[in-house]
Amino acid sequence: MTSSEKSFLAKHFSHVYVEKAVLSHPVTIKILENLRSSQIVKIDNYKEVFCRAGQNYSLQEKSKKLILAKKWGEFLYPAPSICHNFGYDNFFYTSNILNCIYSCEYCFLKGMYSSANVVIFVNIEDYFKEIDAVLGNMPLYLSVSYETDLLALEKIVPFSSAWIEYAASKQNLTIEIRTKSTNFKALENLKPQDNVILAWTLSPQEIIEKFEHGTPSLSSRLSAIKKATENGWKVRLCFDPILYIEDWKMVYEKFLNQVFGEMNPDKIVDISVGVFRIPKDYLKRMKKAFANEITSFPYEESQNICTYSKELKEEMINTILLILGNFVPSSKIFVI
Amino acid sequence: MIYIVAAFHAEAKPLIEHFGLKKLYEPSKFQIFSGNDILLIESKEGIEKSSIATTFALTKFGAGSKDIALNIGICGAVENAFSKGDVILCNKIINHHSKKAFYPDILIQHSMKEATLESFMHPVKKDSLPVEIEGDIVDMEGAGFFEAASIFLPLHNVHCIKIVYDFLDFEKINPVEIESMIKQSIPHIENLINSLLKLNLEFYNNTPEIDNIPLLVNKLKNSLHLTAYMTNELESLLKDYIIRHKKLPDSIFEFFEVQINSKKEGKNYFDKLRKILLS
Ligand code: SF4
Repeated sequence: MTSSEKSFLAKHFSHVYVEKAVLSHPVTIKILENLRSSQIVKIDNYKEVFCRAGQNYSLQEKSKKLILAKKWGEFLYPAPSICHNFGYDNFFYTSNILNCIYSCEYCFLKGMYSSANVVIFVNIEDYFKEIDAVLGNMPLYLSVSYETDLLALEKIVPFSSAWIEYAASKQNLTIEIRTKSTNFKALENLKPQDNVILAWTLSPQEIIEKFEHGTPSLSSRLSAIKKATENGWKVRLCFDPILYIEDWKMVYEKFLNQVFGEMNPDKIVDISVGVFRIPKDYLKRMKKAFANEITSFPYEESQNICTYSKELKEEMINTILLILGNFVPSSKIFVI
Repeated sequence: MIYIVAAFHAEAKPLIEHFGLKKLYEPSKFQIFSGNDILLIESKEGIEKSSIATTFALTKFGAGSKDIALNIGICGAVENAFSKGDVILCNKIINHHSKKAFYPDILIQHSMKEATLESFMHPVKKDSLPVEIEGDIVDMEGAGFFEAASIFLPLHNVHCIKIVYDFLDFEKINPVEIESMIKQSIPHIENLINSLLKLNLEFYNNTPEIDNIPLLVNKLKNSLHLTAYMTNELESLLKDYIIRHKKLPDSIFEFFEVQINSKKEGKNYFDKLRKILLS
């Protein structure tokens, strides 16, 4: 964003919409302490703001607002089949936060919600209570950064740390925190946990610049990963989504060589690989809000999922696996 | 186009003068002034009248998604946190009677204070103030205007600007004083308008080729005798192609001149065109 754009746009979180029910929640108070110059607007229910008709998602992305709310009803959801389960049964996800501070052009959230604003459900204690009850009956593999990038928002609300501290005392719970953030510093003082996987999504720098707006560079992501592994954290690398661009073969080959040139593959727990895929309805909505190279690609559709043609997908996956084979044993690689 | 809705002539007059607006002599129940891509309508007092005038203006003059609608007028402040003459951009607007709340999208910086506005159907005085009032300021139009305008325009283009006139202890309204207060608020209003224009201009999709798609599709529909289904598909394929390649396929112009003698022939041409557009 150029400085002239910055000068007339309101900054992110210039407004915080707070449900009256959570005004005095300790998490709300903490968040508002960090956002002293923001306008506070009281609301009855987050949907009044988040689900309004007439929002322009792509313009809202230029000045995202924050909504603080209380989560009711369901706290855990079975993960959809387009996600990796990494061999775990009972794969669920949970969403403390909806939407993300970054703006990746391929992000499914753009097709899921009509608003670019970020919702934080402050009552994390209710999530923990619900999971306590479920853990009494079965082990759980839980993705906690599913509809956001939790670590990227750690300065606003330290939910990654809260999840890690919660998981520390739970034998039959494994959590994955997936991120593009380089804010490992926020976790540095925590003890690495065996049942916590820090999963970094990595993309070639060309892809980051073109499609992953606002996210840290590849080299800074790699430095954060190195620190995390040195500190004894379990780290997963996610090469997902792999995107088709004109010179994808060359770009991804250079990228993977760079990644493993800098990183010891033995320090990595596992790797996930997948090409871009998205539910058909989400793509339809994304197309309306965003016209870009990702949304306008002629995908093939099968079982309500849009992705590259079978041949292209196979070619892309096989190429990536071939290169990865130079660095990591296939037992560590999960493909979807 | 910028649509301004003001209740009274005393509120409208300084804006008419400043923006150089001229009275429209078209038959209408409303006083309308226009010029320099601005249209001002005087709604008269009340939530309903404001809503009717807004709907009339936005439909009669064909408002589009890049157009802006502003309700400008005086208000009463509930709290003494405000001063007389304060210019306020409303970040929440409540219809006191229906209890509906509306939230404009404030995506740009501005030089005004912000507050919650609560609109009533009758004048509100301090001694008759309802206990359950949530607004920081009160008026008699904002909610009617906002509910109507937000049906036609995106939320970032609809705003209520209120100037604090009294503290709900007024006896009589003085039009000269109102005019002078509105006049003083104009720099803030202009600043907001300029930023909104910039936002709409810079960030909306401004690809001329995409704007031309309906025309192209219509031509192709006629030349290739396309069904409604094929026409829809063609429209979306064309849009995708332009976004990917930043231009139309060169060979598309050949399809304008095609002479079709049978349905089958039309379908064959359409398949050929589809193949090109998928590349
Ligand atoms: S970082 Fe993840 S959640 Fe955030 S915009 Fe990108 S893809 Fe979406």
